[in-house]
Amino acid sequence: MNAIVFDHVSKDYGDVLAVDDVSLSIEPGKTVALLGPNGAGKSTSINMLLGLLRPSRGTVSVFGRTPRQAVAAGQMGAMLQSGQLIPELSVKELIDLVRKLYPEPLDLDEILKLADLTDLVKRRANKLSGGQSQRVRFALAIAGAPKALLLDEPTAAMDVESRLRFWESMRGYAAGGRTVLFATHYLEEADEHSDRVIVIARGKVVADGTAAQIKADVGGHAVRFTLGEQPAAGLDLLPGVTAVEVAAGTATLRTSDTDATLAGLYRGTTLDVRDLQLSGADLEDAFLALTRES
Amino acid sequence: MLYYAKTEALRMLRNRRYIIFVVLFPVVFYLINANIYGDQKDAGGVRMSTYLLVSMAAYGALASSMMSSAVPWAQERQSGWLRQLQITPLPSWAIIVTKLGAAMLLVLPSLLLVSAAAVLQQGVSMPAGQWLPLLLSLWIGTIPFIALGLFIGSLLSADAAQPAAMICMFALSLLGGLWFPIDAIGGTMRTLAHFMPSYHYANLGWNVIAGNGLPMSDVLIVVAWAVVLGGAAAYAYRRATVRA
Repeated sequence: MNAIVFDHVSKDYGDVLAVDDVSLSIEPGKTVALLGPNGAGKSTSINMLLGLLRPSRGTVSVFGRTPRQAVAAGQMGAMLQSGQLIPELSVKELIDLVRKLYPEPLDLDEILKLADLTDLVKRRANKLSGGQSQRVRFALAIAGAPKALLLDEPTAAMDVESRLRFWESMRGYAAGGRTVLFATHYLEEADEHSDRVIVIARGKVVADGTAAQIKADVGGHAVRFTLGEQPAAGLDLLPGVTAVEVAAGTATLRTSDTDATLAGLYRGTTLDVRDLQLSGADLEDAFLALTRES
Repeated sequence: MLYYAKTEALRMLRNRRYIIFVVLFPVVFYLINANIYGDQKDAGGVRMSTYLLVSMAAYGALASSMMSSAVPWAQERQSGWLRQLQITPLPSWAIIVTKLGAAMLLVLPSLLLVSAAAVLQQGVSMPAGQWLPLLLSLWIGTIPFIALGLFIGSLLSADAAQPAAMICMFALSLLGGLWFPIDAIGGTMRTLAHFMPSYHYANLGWNVIAGNGLPMSDVLIVVAWAVVLGGAAAYAYRRATVRA
């Protein structure tokens, strides 16, 4: 049975289509990144998975149940985008409060160790720094030992050091065979910390696979040159070209076959090609190409 | 759920505003007034020190009910803490019921401290047969006010809930005759007081100390208010937590 299934799910807010006919499934035990620019539908998807939002069409299921049933069974834990703590309570009190709401929670010590909070147990929430609060929120998300952990841009407010520690904590938790889905708009995070990357843009899934597959799919290479005032028409028809971008007089051609594209460029056009550069695409190029195309 | 109620109570006890306005204020107010008017007697021959005990205990309980419900609740809704709870196995009704229970627990300190001040400083004495119904009615009678607080907290943002709760609290205290006996004020105020749940609430206590027992009409009115405001709070809560 899949951990998470979206079956033709759409969600609209009035006229705005936040999630547009998304179908996907995630196997248990995987760590999956939901990668997309702001407003792509990441948070909406996560809130639907938690039963906080209802899909307008389609169904979402978690371990074969509805999201509300999975939540009631204590199978879900999450770090949502906004979420403050109760200022008057200590770290231990907050974690204990959430632990005791779940049927089979983790041990307090284990939570503290995973979230790197052992030194802060007695600290009141209003005396915590931003990064420390995030760690507490991570602790609350894992406190109930949920089988599915959802993280909505968990590192948004963290500095580099905190980020490193955070991903280490996340790996520690995922290592127990749990399913983790995290939303991010940082490419490196998706690349480094997940088994699979689902790229969404404007509510649609535009790519799905390992980071390496996505790079390859989009057209592994880019051909860049100075176009100047010359017309860009016809560039997209050159052999191998998957996408064309023109910005500030520079044309970038994404291509799956550099040789064919170059041959076409020199023999098939009368363009004056200057400052020619060739590069292998990185995930960032792939990401930009994907989210722009749609 | 019990632990949740306990932490709810604990956090308010650590809140300075709660301690000052809700716990200390009524006691200080009581001591000042009782030391000035304590030896006078009201129309029914009850010493003012006892009459004021009821007024101030009722005021403290009322203030506590509203303070520990409206604003914290509005804040939790806004800050995302409610969502954090909504994704735990805790059912949605349990959240609001726990809030009610914790708010009721938090009424006890001011109720008991005002009583203690009355006994210790003013030498107020009553048979247990009066203390018990007095404290119980003043305690359980806070349900409509807590419901009102939760209603406000579900409906308004934290910034708006603060003044709204304050205005309701002062209006209920003043117009309900908790600060000044309504007999001492004009006729309009007296008519107005009869529309206030707070008047009927305190009237439970005033009747007990006058030796009249619990007046059925006031009990029914307070219960009716509890049903109306409880219903409003439940409705507003559902609206606030509805899944769009």
